[in-house]
Amino acid sequence: MKFFQSIRFIILVLFLSIHLPIVQAQGNRDFMRETGKIYVVVGVILLIFLGIVLYLVRLDRKLTKLESQLNEEKNEQPH
Amino acid sequence: MWWKTLSVALIIYAITAGMLVPLKPGITYVSPGVVKSGQDITLRVFGYNSFYTKARADEIRIWLQFDESNAVLGQKTAILNDTTVEASFQMPSGMPEKGTFAMLNVIVDHPVDGVSLLPSAVEFRLDTTATSKAGWQDNPIEQLHIVKDLSYPYRNVIYESIRNTYYHVPMWFALMFMFLGSVIYSIRYLKSQHLDDDKKAVAFTEAGLLFGLLGLVTGMLWAHYAWGSAWSNDIKQLMTAVALLVYLAYFILRSSFDEPEKGARLSAVYNIFAFASLVPLLYIVPRMFASLHPGAEGSPAFGSQDLDNTMRMVFYPSIIGFSLLGLWLAQLRYRYAKIQDVLYDID
Repeated sequence: MKFFQSIRFIILVLFLSIHLPIVQAQGNRDFMRETGKIYVVVGVILLIFLGIVLYLVRLDRKLTKLESQLNEEKNEQPH
Repeated sequence: MWWKTLSVALIIYAITAGMLVPLKPGITYVSPGVVKSGQDITLRVFGYNSFYTKARADEIRIWLQFDESNAVLGQKTAILNDTTVEASFQMPSGMPEKGTFAMLNVIVDHPVDGVSLLPSAVEFRLDTTATSKAGWQDNPIEQLHIVKDLSYPYRNVIYESIRNTYYHVPMWFALMFMFLGSVIYSIRYLKSQHLDDDKKAVAFTEAGLLFGLLGLVTGMLWAHYAWGSAWSNDIKQLMTAVALLVYLAYFILRSSFDEPEKGARLSAVYNIFAFASLVPLLYIVPRMFASLHPGAEGSPAFGSQDLDNTMRMVFYPSIIGFSLLGLWLAQLRYRYAKIQDVLYDID
C-alpha cells in the first residue's frame, strides 16, 4: 500500500505513460502528428489529470503525517 | 456540496463534448504546389474529414483564388475517394496585379460538406510581367453552400488539437480566479489579522500555482506540435514563466519566517504586489509584442476567428468546471492547515 502512495510509483506511471507512445511509434515516427494531432489533446488531458493527482498525493502524505501525529498524542496521554 | 458535483460534471462534459464533436471538413494540401501562367494543369485536392463522394462530381466546385474578385474555376471535376478530388485548371496568361508570382487560395464548395478553404495553397508563377484580368473573372465565387452543424472549426497545422482550447486555456482562467481569491484573502488578513484568512490565501495561491504549472506544461506539449518547438521564447511564455516565479517566491518568503503572524503579514503584502504584477505580465505586456499566441493583436483574448459559437458551448463550461475544481483543491488545502493548527495547539 505504501508503495502506491509513494512518489516513486507516480514517477514510474509518468515514465511509462510517456514512453508508451514512443514504443508504439518505433515503426512510425510521426505518431503524435497522425490522425490530425488528436494525441496532442490526449496528452494534454493526461498531463492535467496527472498534475491534479500529484497534488492530491502531496496532500495525502501531509494528512498521513498529521494522522500519525494525532496517534502519537493519543498514545502519550491515555485518558 | 453541490458545486463539487457541478465541477466534476462540467469537466466530464468538457472532455466528452470536446473530444466527440467532429471538425469541419477541411483541405490538408493540394498537389502540385506550383502552377505557371498559361498552363493547363490537373490539380489534386486532399481533404480532411471530408465526404466528397456524397455529392456528384459536377456539384463540387473548386476555385484557385487570387483575391475577393479574382479566381479561376476548375473544370472536369473528378472524385477519386472521400478525401481526394481532382479538377483541371486553365491558368490565365497574366495576373490581376503586378508581380512575378502570387500565392493562391484553394476553395472547395461541396453541397453536403460546405465550403472549405486552404490559404496560400498554390504558388502561381508568371512567364511575363503582364498585368491582365483576363480569365480571372469568368467564374466568380458565388452560391456557396454554408453548412451549419455541430462541429469545430478546421484550422490548418492545428487540426484536431484545436480541442486543447477546452483544456489548456481554462487552466489560465482558473489560475486567474485562484490568484484573485488569494489576493482578496490577503487583503482581508491585513484588515482582520485573523490567521484563517491567511490560510485561505495560501490555499488559493497553491491551487493557482498548480494551474499555472499545468497550463505551462500543456502549452509546451501543444507548442511542440503546433509551433515546432516546446519553448520558442514567445512573449506570453516568457511572461508566464516570470509570473509563476513571482508566485513561487511567495512560498519561499513564507517559509523563511518562524513566527506565523510576521510571515503572514509580510507574505500578504507581497501577495498584493505579486497580483499587481500578474495582470500586466499575463494580459498587457504580451499584447505589446508579436506573439505566436492567437488574439495578440486585438483587445479580446478570443476573436470570432479563434472561437466560434459551437466552441463557446464547451469552452465556458470547461472554465467554470476547472475553476470550481481549483476551489475544491484550495478548500482541501485550507482544511488541512486548519486541522494542523488545532493539533499544534494541543502540544
